[in-house]
Amino acid sequence: MAAVATNSKKNGFFLWGMSPNSRREAIWGYIFLSPWIIGFLLFTLIPTVATLGFTFTNIVIVQEGAKPLAFVGLDNYTTLVKDSQVWESLLVTLKFAAIALPIGILLPIALALLLNSKHLRLANLFRTLFYLPYIIPFVAAIFLWSGMLNPGTGWINQALRAFGIANTPNWMEDVNWVYPSLVLIGIWGIGNDMMISLAGLQGVPTELYDAAKVDGAGFLTTTLNVTLPMISPIIFYNLTLGIVGLLQYFLVPLVLNSGTGQPGNATLFYNMVIYKTFFTYQNMSYGATMAWLLFLITLGITLVLFKTQKYWVYYAAESR
Amino acid sequence: MNKKSLLLISLLTAMTMLFAACAPAVQPAAPAQPAAPVQPAAPAAPAQPAAAVAAPTEAAAQPAAPAASGNKVVIKWFIGLGTGSDPEQQEPQKKAVADFNAAHPNIDLQMEVVTYNAAYDTMATELASGNPPDVVGPVGTSGAEAFHGAWLDMTDLIKETNYDLTNVDPMTVAFFKTDQGQLGLPFAIYPSELYYQPAMFDEVGLSYPPHKYGDKYKMPDGSMVDWNYDTLRKIAMMLTVDKKGKTPNDTGFDPKTIVQYGFVDSDQNLRGIGNYWGPDSIVEADGKTVKIPAHYVAAWKWWYAGMWKDNFIPTQAVIQSPEFGATNSFNSGKFAMSINHLWYTCCIESAGNKWDIAAIPATPDGKKVAEMNADTFRITKNSKHPKEAFEVVRYLINDQALNLLKTYGGFPARKDLQKDFLAALDEKFPQKPDWQVMLDAIPYQDIPNFESYTPNYQETINRLGTFQQLMTAQGDVDMDKEIAKLKIDLQVIYDKKTK
Repeated sequence: MAAVATNSKKNGFFLWGMSPNSRREAIWGYIFLSPWIIGFLLFTLIPTVATLGFTFTNIVIVQEGAKPLAFVGLDNYTTLVKDSQVWESLLVTLKFAAIALPIGILLPIALALLLNSKHLRLANLFRTLFYLPYIIPFVAAIFLWSGMLNPGTGWINQALRAFGIANTPNWMEDVNWVYPSLVLIGIWGIGNDMMISLAGLQGVPTELYDAAKVDGAGFLTTTLNVTLPMISPIIFYNLTLGIVGLLQYFLVPLVLNSGTGQPGNATLFYNMVIYKTFFTYQNMSYGATMAWLLFLITLGITLVLFKTQKYWVYYAAESR
Repeated sequence: MNKKSLLLISLLTAMTMLFAACAPAVQPAAPAQPAAPVQPAAPAAPAQPAAAVAAPTEAAAQPAAPAASGNKVVIKWFIGLGTGSDPEQQEPQKKAVADFNAAHPNIDLQMEVVTYNAAYDTMATELASGNPPDVVGPVGTSGAEAFHGAWLDMTDLIKETNYDLTNVDPMTVAFFKTDQGQLGLPFAIYPSELYYQPAMFDEVGLSYPPHKYGDKYKMPDGSMVDWNYDTLRKIAMMLTVDKKGKTPNDTGFDPKTIVQYGFVDSDQNLRGIGNYWGPDSIVEADGKTVKIPAHYVAAWKWWYAGMWKDNFIPTQAVIQSPEFGATNSFNSGKFAMSINHLWYTCCIESAGNKWDIAAIPATPDGKKVAEMNADTFRITKNSKHPKEAFEVVRYLINDQALNLLKTYGGFPARKDLQKDFLAALDEKFPQKPDWQVMLDAIPYQDIPNFESYTPNYQETINRLGTFQQLMTAQGDVDMDKEIAKLKIDLQVIYDKKTK
């Protein structure tokens, strides 16, 4: 690719205008790139553009009442605006994100800070233990958690009762406890983010800590003014992916309660509604419309993050 | 590189990054989990009768075998939308296939068995890909309506083959007739009846509910009253007791300590409850406008008051509790009466051996209605061999009736097979419940059925389920407001598929 780029700079991007040698190199470059390009076109770009087209039609899996496939204009979009389930499920998703995201960002950093401490013995063992849950097959882990969170027989409630707490939570059936339950399940898998944060922490130059110590900075001041700014690119990375992941969140509730949204629609996440619209309600066009709305929301939030990063993300290797 | 080329590359790169960001392989931060390549459980579908009450096992889906060679017509039989995917059901079904193939050298019948949880998605995929199965079943109304528009009108085939419909009740034939034609033939039926515990009635000196449709009920004061839901409410309240032995009619009754309930409508959805007051549809005749019948509203309010004001019907929290049967309520032995279908005899082993069945109460205007579940085999509209598929259906429903009905726990729609089935039920239940009640209920089946077609069926069921969950979970629901909201939401749901 570098050879292609270099030669392109000299002779133009496309094959015309190139010298025969350059053209030959460029052709080989494209040949090696072609598997990815073909795959990207066939399985990502073209289907994505196709779904945009779907949003203007009435594609369903089984055409009810022998209605033919037709162009319906903006009908799906006007229905989207009127559909209370869309906005309620978006609200559910945002409510859950408001609880889960701060924990998902701060907890890995906190754990990484602990693991990075020079006073910690057996750091390798703790690192392994914290990371291990991440590699357990995901669906198996969810089933495990559903057993642990069972209000009657789950060991969490049994332990709480052993400590004298009689009124134990009905974790997955109580609207007040279902989000903490989902966050608990999610916390179990923060090993990966913790490792990334730890890698970032270990990349902070020690002379900065020495300088802070000399200036009389305590742990909190050092963390706030040295550590966090230095690992802000890691935080930015985790935040971006965290937001994207939370907006797409649905696999846990799907496995836990088959996508019913119980209790009381508290777990009817937006992506769950998309999934059900496609595969349960068989309404491909409307599902595509919802998916595009999700894409625009995700894109908007991501662009805001990228735009605002200059105010709080410090790239040590670059100038601001 | 010139400016234009640079712009083009930048645009392509940006688009690539954007689309890559939307790809499912993204690794989100905690607590969101990465999207693992896993076969998710299918979303909740309407309950299916008979053996599907027991959770279907994870029998692996058996994909359709390649087409047979020679001149044989291959007919694919899809099993899983209803019962039929449990391991113990496979051998009888395989026998049915083997017997059919032996008797029909020109047809190669092949089974495709899919677990219930995956059946809806699999069927949807096969329909969408243009590779539908030919025969689907056994499937109930709800499973069939999830694929409304996919079924063949068998009217012409019935005429061509002179199929005999005289050995079944005409109402059961009408059950499968819709505006799209005769979409099924009677096979297994599950009339509904009122299960009751005579001992609980004896304890408080109440007469038993009538066993004959049209009979009146004798109240404690000796008066004879119509056997309807108002009467049921009155006696159910007398049969509901808290731990101090008080009923909802007594001062000091504590609804939080109820130890026995007067009534539970097991496995019923809102449309089923609405049909208690009279069969109807929630779609206008134009097929796309929402209708919430006034008597449905009355039935829902009666049911809601039964839970939160009169306290003779359990709330969802009680129904789900292990002490009251963990959703198998009547089986817990703590309910005096329950409306359910015949297939419920699969799951009633802990209710004691004294229970009996009685007539379903009449509607407020005196109409006799006993809701029906029914299974049959259907032919897909896009089957390439409808005649051969019909031959399969005819064979399964008739020649293999006893074998398959026993496998599925279904009551025969054919009158000549009913006696043997009832004899088998008597062996299972030594108290010999009054099965005549169930037979008498057949002509009073609800048409339109409580599981009949609505536009955007699955989403409609889902929305109704949400309202029902709200009613069973909260005692302060403004019913009129929520029903108005339901109507608006249902119209949006209908419009998604009817515009």
